[in-house]
Amino acid sequence: MEYVVSILKKFPLTVFSLVILTMPFWFPWIGGYGGLATKIMIWALFALGFDILLGFTGYLSFGHAIFFGVSAYATGLMFKHFSDEIIPAMIVAVVVGTLASVIIGYLTLKKSGIYFSILTLAFGEMLHSSALSTFGSFTGGENGLTLPDMIPSMLGIEMRGEIMFYMTALVLILGFYIARRIGDSPFGLILKAIKSNQERLEYTGIDVQKYKLGAFVISAVFASVAGSLMVVYEPYVGTEYLRWSTSGNLVLMSVMGGVGTLIGPIIGAAFMLYFENVLSVPLGEEWLLVLGLIFMAIVIFLPGGFTDGFKLIYKKLFGNKADGEEK
Amino acid sequence: MNYLFLQVLTGLQISALYMLIALGLTLIFGTLGVVNFAHGALFMLGAYFAVVISDAFGFNVALVAVPILLFVVGIILERGLIRFFYERSHTDQILVTFGLAIVIGEVLKTIYGANNLPFAKPSWGSGIVKLHEYLPFLEGFVAYPKWRLILVVVSFSTVAALFLLLQFTRFGLIVRAGMRDSQMLAFLGVNITRRFTIVFGIGAVIAAIAGLFGGPITQVEPELGMKLLIPSFLVVVVGGMGSLPGAVLASLLFGMALSFTAKYAEIQQIIIYLLAVVILLVRPRGLMGKKGLME
Repeated sequence: MEYVVSILKKFPLTVFSLVILTMPFWFPWIGGYGGLATKIMIWALFALGFDILLGFTGYLSFGHAIFFGVSAYATGLMFKHFSDEIIPAMIVAVVVGTLASVIIGYLTLKKSGIYFSILTLAFGEMLHSSALSTFGSFTGGENGLTLPDMIPSMLGIEMRGEIMFYMTALVLILGFYIARRIGDSPFGLILKAIKSNQERLEYTGIDVQKYKLGAFVISAVFASVAGSLMVVYEPYVGTEYLRWSTSGNLVLMSVMGGVGTLIGPIIGAAFMLYFENVLSVPLGEEWLLVLGLIFMAIVIFLPGGFTDGFKLIYKKLFGNKADGEEK
Repeated sequence: MNYLFLQVLTGLQISALYMLIALGLTLIFGTLGVVNFAHGALFMLGAYFAVVISDAFGFNVALVAVPILLFVVGIILERGLIRFFYERSHTDQILVTFGLAIVIGEVLKTIYGANNLPFAKPSWGSGIVKLHEYLPFLEGFVAYPKWRLILVVVSFSTVAALFLLLQFTRFGLIVRAGMRDSQMLAFLGVNITRRFTIVFGIGAVIAAIAGLFGGPITQVEPELGMKLLIPSFLVVVVGGMGSLPGAVLASLLFGMALSFTAKYAEIQQIIIYLLAVVILLVRPRGLMGKKGLME
């Protein structure tokens, strides 16, 4: 066991990549299926980016559906009016999502944590209701943006099934690498300092605002890539992508997995989608109730989420030698 | 003249419901310092209890029973859950109450289904009021649904009652002192925790009143809580966190804005968010927020 943990510590990225890339082989054993694996990759990317904001700086956004949804709509509109090539569509989508995050981040991050949560929630609902009515002629209103008989392709290769899975898996691995690098960089350290004591950091002469905005925009870029990939995976833009429930699910999975660890939200995303699609069969309609109770139990008793739980179990089993660095 | 009057009346009626929900939110935030994302769920619980009880025993029984029930629910929640979060970060408070909101919504969905429950108004509250008979300046025939007028009256009476309670009673004095400095008050030998529990209960009672009188106007379905929570939060933030007069002022502003843009659905959908953004950019602490608090 110690040996396994030491490998995890030494080569986290390699282990992570192996687990992800072999997913099509082991995932069906536990009741998963190909499409779900791709969806998990996309949500994991979304949650990973969210952790750079929530986990590092401690700012809880209830509006990250904005960037997921806006970029999904941008991708859908590019497919509809331009071409089914994914590269230009994704570039445009990420640019649009990033621009939105610069504006919204600038407006909301000046305020304290509570203001930030409520205002991001409000911005999300504003965009959701404007997508339903105000811009209904572009977005398809209540029906969402339908793209009938569309198969997105990259350089002529159709993005379906296995190919789509491996592309999203590679994007996730790249994202994980980048997020870890950010976490270890001086920039990441300042973000973590914002979480522990923002006031003190301000007195040292650091422009905290700039760093918070940086974290916000980076997490929005992750969200935009995820939103765009979602439309590539499933050529349809649902109105719920912009809805508060999407932001809410993101918060649920990040907190359940364990914020601030990067791997935690990825585990949380996998858990939640697995729960929603596989475990919901025996649980029936009440699966969300069970999930809500699990979530509350974690917030109350185990604020560090699953990753913290693993650490505790490991310590219990193998003494206090391990200092508990997870993956 | 008629048009203007009716728009103002509709604005008052819209703001009445926001006001009731925002009042409970801002009261709990101002005193306990807790951001309660489950407040919409409490309101929804009030509406469901109101439907179920008035179906079985009539509305008049519900009128008494629902506030008592919600008061008990509020006390249990505060003692059993919320009080453990006073010392934890605002983020944790938001998370746990958000989880609570999901659980309450899902329990209601499991019991009563995802569809809208019909809410029958009592006989004394249905029908219309012929306003032109009372107000001579109105021309011709002007009628308005009686229930909506009742909602406005109830809402403003609740505001007045809460104001009187906080401003002119010993209980209110202690609570207001506790808002300033609860530690000092505890040193002086005042049992502030018990008062705070009661304040949470009062917040829940206001949510019950909102559910009783707002339920027949909104739809009683499991999404209701979140649907009203978001604009109500904006009311609280725009009014200034923890400020009761601010919440009243902001809900009036939102109600009027929604009422006067009713002709243009595209603008109406986003008007309150636009207003909130502009106001908070100009005045981050909200209309009547205290200086330095949450700025």
